[in-house]
Amino acid sequence: MQPDTAIEPQPAPAARALTCPSCGGSVALRAAGYTVHVACQYCSSILDVTDPQVKLVTAYNQHLAELEIPLGTRGVLRGVEWEAIGYLQRSEDGDYGWEEYLLFNPYHGYRWLVKVRGGWSMGEALTVTPDWLSYDQLVVNGENYTHFFADGEARVDYVLGEFYWRVAVGERVKTADWVRSGVMLSREENASEVSWTRNAWLAPAEMRKAFAIRPEAIWPPLPHQPSPWGAWLRTGAKIGALAFAFLLVFALFFGGTSWTAAGSFPVAADGREQSVTLGPIVLPHRYQSVHLRADVPQLENGWVDLDYSLVERKTQQVYEAYGAAERYSGTDFDGPWSEGSRKAEVSIASVPVGTYDLVVEYKANRWSGASGYAETAGWMDPAAAPVVQVEVRRGAVYGSNLLIALLLLAAPLGLALIWHLAFETARKSESDFAPSGEDDDE
Amino acid sequence: MNNRTFVYGLWCLGVAGLFIMSTVYAWSPFAQGSRARTHGGFYGPTHK
Repeated sequence: MQPDTAIEPQPAPAARALTCPSCGGSVALRAAGYTVHVACQYCSSILDVTDPQVKLVTAYNQHLAELEIPLGTRGVLRGVEWEAIGYLQRSEDGDYGWEEYLLFNPYHGYRWLVKVRGGWSMGEALTVTPDWLSYDQLVVNGENYTHFFADGEARVDYVLGEFYWRVAVGERVKTADWVRSGVMLSREENASEVSWTRNAWLAPAEMRKAFAIRPEAIWPPLPHQPSPWGAWLRTGAKIGALAFAFLLVFALFFGGTSWTAAGSFPVAADGREQSVTLGPIVLPHRYQSVHLRADVPQLENGWVDLDYSLVERKTQQVYEAYGAAERYSGTDFDGPWSEGSRKAEVSIASVPVGTYDLVVEYKANRWSGASGYAETAGWMDPAAAPVVQVEVRRGAVYGSNLLIALLLLAAPLGLALIWHLAFETARKSESDFAPSGEDDDE
Repeated sequence: MNNRTFVYGLWCLGVAGLFIMSTVYAWSPFAQGSRARTHGGFYGPTHK
């Protein structure tokens, strides 16, 4: 009895060698069975390998390009090991050149590794056709793309290695591109077909890890290059908001006391310097701020100078502040006017624990328009019984400190936002659809 | 966590730390008054 013959799986494409009919060099086929055309690695002549008798398609004897990724190099990109088997140089009739490496993996097929102005992308041919969303928007696989480059024409300038189609120097296709952050959608059209390729941006670190490619400075940014600050801005904003929320809650716990009356004292009609001692003011915490607020209800066209001295009873240590309440009013050709305030507030920082007296040295003044001092008693008339009322409160958190903290927290985010906007402006200015005047090349 | 996030996190911690320190010492760069440095004599006794 004959044993059953097992059906053997199709062998994975193997490398094989052939001889270049142009220069006699040994040409390795890395994707034998799939490859249609191969460019000789020694003389760049293009060979048709679909026939067992290798045919010379185009004979070249040109200088070989020095490749950043020598053909045959393998590297792991996004979890798959790829081998570089083909290389193209393309341009728009000699301008705006770029390079394309054809990558191959027997289980995952082909990908393109595209280098434009030092930036790398990994291209995968789409098997579906994008749909129009609007006049400049496409959608495919749930991703929206915005039109970036209008109809152009790409020409093959140089070929090396092997390809799954009949490649030729001088081959031309019509091109157009759409982008979203991190991805470019490229359309290529020739007489017989239209193909779409999804080019995913590869970060410099990915290329360094996969193919030991040294990063290059890219400016202006490539059309689909993600802003280095865009993603971080969202994370940073969350961290900053969290930090500020913490400071707000902290500030609520250390807000301090409400205002309490410390004393009231009369204003002399002759405007002489007076002094009064108020207290005791007991400060219980290790350190606190002391806020003093003077109110002069009768004040009108005049001012009161106020010198405060907080004097600790035991140590006689003094904490000083100066304030002035001033209020003016009158009538001119625009009508009645007034400025200033009858209240004046000052604060004294970092006052240590203790029992204090508040010494207030004050001097009342009156003013009468452009003529300077008034002849009449004005608001200081004893009949009006003018007084200065002083209130006090203690605290710890200054609103100004909270504002400074907010500015410091926001400063890095603001800088990142400026850089992000500059990046995006430069990126969009490269588009064929940029508003007039943005593209410097035009 | 990338380097930027880490550095910004440290920055936020520093700012929060400075804010807490300023609160503990009840200090502000904009306070009008502070400890008298040039006062030569004694007021006392000043209490009534």
